[in-house]
Amino acid sequence: MSYIKSYGVAFPSFRIDDNVLHYIGKKSQSKAICFSDEDLITLAYESSIECVKTQYSSIDAVFFATNSPVFQNRYHSAYIADLLGINNNALYLDFIGTNRCSTDALMIADQFVNSGKYKNILLVAADVKYAEIGDEIFSSSGHAAIAVHISNETGIAKIDECFNVGSSISEEFIYKNNELKYDPRYIREIGFKKNIEEVVDKIKKYNESCQKVILNSKYSKLAGNLFIKSGFKEQQFAVDTISRNIGNVGSSHVFLQLIQEIENGTNSILLIDYTNGSNVILINNCKSLGILKRKIEDYKKIESYQDYLKLRKVGNFNSSKYKSKEIFSSEMMNDREKSAFIRLIGIKCKNCGTCYFIKTEKCKKCKSQHFETVKLSRTGQVYSFTREHYFPVAFPPVTMLVIDLDGGGRVTLQQTDCISPENNKIEIGSKVRLVLRKMIEQDYKPNYFFKAVVIE
Amino acid sequence: MKDIAVIGIGVTKFGELFNMSYDDLVRDAANQAINDARINTDEIGAAWLSTAFPEIGVYKGRSGMDLSEPLCMYNIPVTRVSNFCASGADAIRNAVNSLRAGECDVVMALGVEKLRDRQPQDSIVKMMVEYGHPFLQKGFTAAGTFSIYAKRMMHEFSLKQEDIAEISVKNHYHGSLNEKAHHRKSCTLAEVMSSPMVADPLTVMDSCPTTDGAACVIMVRAEDVDKSKHNPIFIKGIGLSVSTGWDLPFFDPNHDFLSFEATRTAAQMAYKQALISKPIEELDLIEVHDCFSIVELLTYEDLGLCKKGEAKDMIRGKETQLGGKIPVNVSGGLLSCGHPVGATGIRMVTEVVNHLRNNAGKRQVNGAKRGLTHNIGGPGAIASVIILSNENY
Repeated sequence: MSYIKSYGVAFPSFRIDDNVLHYIGKKSQSKAICFSDEDLITLAYESSIECVKTQYSSIDAVFFATNSPVFQNRYHSAYIADLLGINNNALYLDFIGTNRCSTDALMIADQFVNSGKYKNILLVAADVKYAEIGDEIFSSSGHAAIAVHISNETGIAKIDECFNVGSSISEEFIYKNNELKYDPRYIREIGFKKNIEEVVDKIKKYNESCQKVILNSKYSKLAGNLFIKSGFKEQQFAVDTISRNIGNVGSSHVFLQLIQEIENGTNSILLIDYTNGSNVILINNCKSLGILKRKIEDYKKIESYQDYLKLRKVGNFNSSKYKSKEIFSSEMMNDREKSAFIRLIGIKCKNCGTCYFIKTEKCKKCKSQHFETVKLSRTGQVYSFTREHYFPVAFPPVTMLVIDLDGGGRVTLQQTDCISPENNKIEIGSKVRLVLRKMIEQDYKPNYFFKAVVIE
Repeated sequence: MKDIAVIGIGVTKFGELFNMSYDDLVRDAANQAINDARINTDEIGAAWLSTAFPEIGVYKGRSGMDLSEPLCMYNIPVTRVSNFCASGADAIRNAVNSLRAGECDVVMALGVEKLRDRQPQDSIVKMMVEYGHPFLQKGFTAAGTFSIYAKRMMHEFSLKQEDIAEISVKNHYHGSLNEKAHHRKSCTLAEVMSSPMVADPLTVMDSCPTTDGAACVIMVRAEDVDKSKHNPIFIKGIGLSVSTGWDLPFFDPNHDFLSFEATRTAAQMAYKQALISKPIEELDLIEVHDCFSIVELLTYEDLGLCKKGEAKDMIRGKETQLGGKIPVNVSGGLLSCGHPVGATGIRMVTEVVNHLRNNAGKRQVNGAKRGLTHNIGGPGAIASVIILSNENY
């Protein structure tokens, strides 16, 4: 038997309302949008950290599901595992290319755990997709990542059954970069409805026992009658409120809906993930961790379309040639120093207890040469800071913070998630948290390093 | 240790010298010094060249041969010295030690930097953006590394932005009296405060410009001074200290961002050699490395001119103004003279020598007998202190 042991969710801090994107947009609709230094990897990292906490050693496989990969020929799962410090002997698999890839990964994880060969699988689903410029209002793309820990030990939910109903019909798909669609009525009758009918036939035995049905498909509104005919009740249908707040977040969307239902107190959930066929997963004995609700309510707004464009780096609004330039960093150095710089393994003086983030031969305080390693904290307090008005960043001025980490150690790094400097309330003593963000090497390859955000 | 005498000084006009090459600058400063010392080039037994950043300038100054070639000064030891912004003072220190070791009898230390052939953003900022570690220090300009100190001092000592800006006002006034300074215009407090912010709380006018320029000193052992042709000024103390690193200050939990340990230790070395116990009483003028105005303020404390946290009282009381208790940066400092990096430490020595020779014109500190130069490098990691006297006591 396999279980969902825990989960973690990451949204960007910024959201944009549809009526900022276009005057016909609804104010009640918004989309979560990455800051200029966030991407698939940073969101996946943050969700994984929240999910696994410190139990990296127990993870024996990492699955990564996305429909908007940043790499080709490089496994996102392996990359994330490396950032997290998961051991090298684990199994890394990527599930890429469809919105159903996340439940594909879940079904495989379930099988692997049931086989007894794997005990703890970290499954990360993330998507960061942007709509075409000018088309944002008609596209529902939002950005998010979710990490789920599948284990043979009990946790927050039990995976009771998984199966797949295949189909050759895909209502809309991409062929050689061209988006193709069948005639809408054809796909409704021969595609979606026919496919869902087959699914309903197989699940109608649960119409009494299961409290909620989640149907993850943009056509889900068409399916109501089919379910009701098979004995399900209308109120058993889960309402998707994620899309309204965050947008459609691709591969992680289905899990977000699942977590939302779990946090709503639902005990028994039937999850149907539809894209070119369906994955059906029956989940029971659910317990909430209360993470998602808090995160949906915690955000900052992007106030103008121009700022949104700047985030996307579409327009260069700065005349100075360096202002739009991304920051150089070194891949090799990154790899060499990742234990300290990504995993925050510092050193602690055995004599006086002073913690150091960077290597040192002797303790600067007591001259002792005896050190032990220490995991440094990701939170701290600002010791001093300055606003750099001439340093090339997307939203100047960039604020540099000298931070004393809780429990020891000092770092100096950039503050992030600041669009308007007048709203930046940073001061000496402010509490901050380190977040993994990207820096780009010569506009090609991002490297990932910590920056800081203020904790309210 | 044998006493050392400066017998020749030379300094070019500082500024945007678009019509002068690196080699022209070298020749200008060197020939002034050679003429002042009344020697000829062939008498120089060894030389030190200080250029801090060849790679962000004109790729000149990467070795000693860039001093030899413009002066046709061949077949002697010539060494390039690089110790960030303290390179100039370190060139002097090396030359002094060569005389003391008896390697030769006449030495030259020449500092030169040709920065204005590149746009400012192509030089210092680019270095910070594109080189070095991607995590450590990413986001800082040179101004930022010092404004971190300013913020903390404001927090600890109720220092005001006005106090910092007053340094700039004072030095720009002094600079208006110096015909060789880059910026020769005095300014008001309001002008400094309202100029564009570079790194909070330091404005453009709290920051020194990048400048072209060269400075040169020629030295001999005091025993070799020929009173009939030389007007010697004696080096009574010379200290140089590297007290932290490029990255460490920003990652060291023991660092208080209120002081430069390097300045304190270099000053201790120099004071001990020069037998100085009360610097504020015993010195007549000081040239401080005011690359950003906060550095001058902080250095009052590190040099022991006042107690910790009291630097603001010195500037408020105008004690460091020309005519005050202890004039600081009567040349106009880096803020006004500009900062041709490799030349700065040597330019300071030429300034003090001029005052001790009673030869500084409108800005002369009357009756000056002893002066001090302070030259720092890196984010306050390296410091040099040199003490000069017109008497060999």
